[in-house]
Amino acid sequence: MQKSCEDIADMLVDYADGRLSPGESSKVAAHLAKCKDCRGSLEALQRSLELAGVIWEDQLAEIEAVRIQIPEKVRKFSWRGYAVIAAGILLVVAISSVLKVLVGHTEKEPTFAEIEQKIDESYSAARLLAAADLLAKYPDTEAIAKRQYHYVVKKYPQTPAAAEAKLRIK
Amino acid sequence: MNEKSADFEAVLGIPEVEGDQAAGERSSEANFVDIFLAELGPLKKIIAGMGLSASDSEDVLQDVSIRALEQPVRGRSKGQCVRWLIKVAVNRCLTEFRHRKRFRRKASEILKRRSETKTDPISAENKAIVAEELEIMRKTLQEMDESLLAPMVLRYFCDLNSREIGEILTLSPLAVRSRLRKARMILAKRLIKRGVEP
Repeated sequence: MQKSCEDIADMLVDYADGRLSPGESSKVAAHLAKCKDCRGSLEALQRSLELAGVIWEDQLAEIEAVRIQIPEKVRKFSWRGYAVIAAGILLVVAISSVLKVLVGHTEKEPTFAEIEQKIDESYSAARLLAAADLLAKYPDTEAIAKRQYHYVVKKYPQTPAAAEAKLRIK
Repeated sequence: MNEKSADFEAVLGIPEVEGDQAAGERSSEANFVDIFLAELGPLKKIIAGMGLSASDSEDVLQDVSIRALEQPVRGRSKGQCVRWLIKVAVNRCLTEFRHRKRFRRKASEILKRRSETKTDPISAENKAIVAEELEIMRKTLQEMDESLLAPMVLRYFCDLNSREIGEILTLSPLAVRSRLRKARMILAKRLIKRGVEP
């Protein structure tokens, strides 16, 4: 192998991939024209990639038949989630009305902002509960669901969803 | 990111999404599962390229699909979602790659299956040469370090460019090119050692 073969060897992969500039490419081509060893290396580079392709294609043919089941219910999560959210909001409104009747005028009436905050909290808690219920159905995500129940209880303790989450934890 | 999705991510332990994408690129309609199903072909290519068997690939795909189920798509572009899925699949493959026997099918089996499905018949003499070369390549791929095989698969089997591979493997494009050169030379040298006619 000539001295310049070492320089060419560094460029051969890029040459084979067509990534060299026209100037570099013609320099390599000129060397290849007179050097049998480097032509052999280039041939081996191309041939080895071809063979690797055959092996990869064969592996792919084996894997092509693999089918993955995605639970349909999971993909329709949002509908169920929204139903739970709506139920949560209704529950909060109902509880507020009942409390108002029972307590009468002895307690200070909640402000609009406070009611809004409660609805917001119930909304978030119900949404998280719905997601946790969904995750709890699959063995692989059971641990995440449990963590989520705890989170609902901790973050939104006063909500109906937190009460539900407590029951789920038990 | 609003408070509601932050809630989900706090529970699921998902980091916040970088805000580097254009608003127009965002996909609010698609979800990770749909993107996963659409990208099943390329994901299978990666798994095949890493030499995993059908049963191992099923495990990997199942795992990636579960990760996809857990991921909120909000705030991510479709491209980001696809890159995330590829990254998860590659990482999962690398874990399998370390523990499992890969590229199990011998050259004779590959050629047998190939002769059943391909229309270009190989002569008996060539068959012996191809079988020998294939076996050398299979063993070389089997023994190849994962840090070299992964870029090879992504570049030459999945047709990703150096920048995309760099993003997936957390490497610079220059480092990717360097690894590709190294991997290609390893394969070529094994064939030269056997004797490839120029």
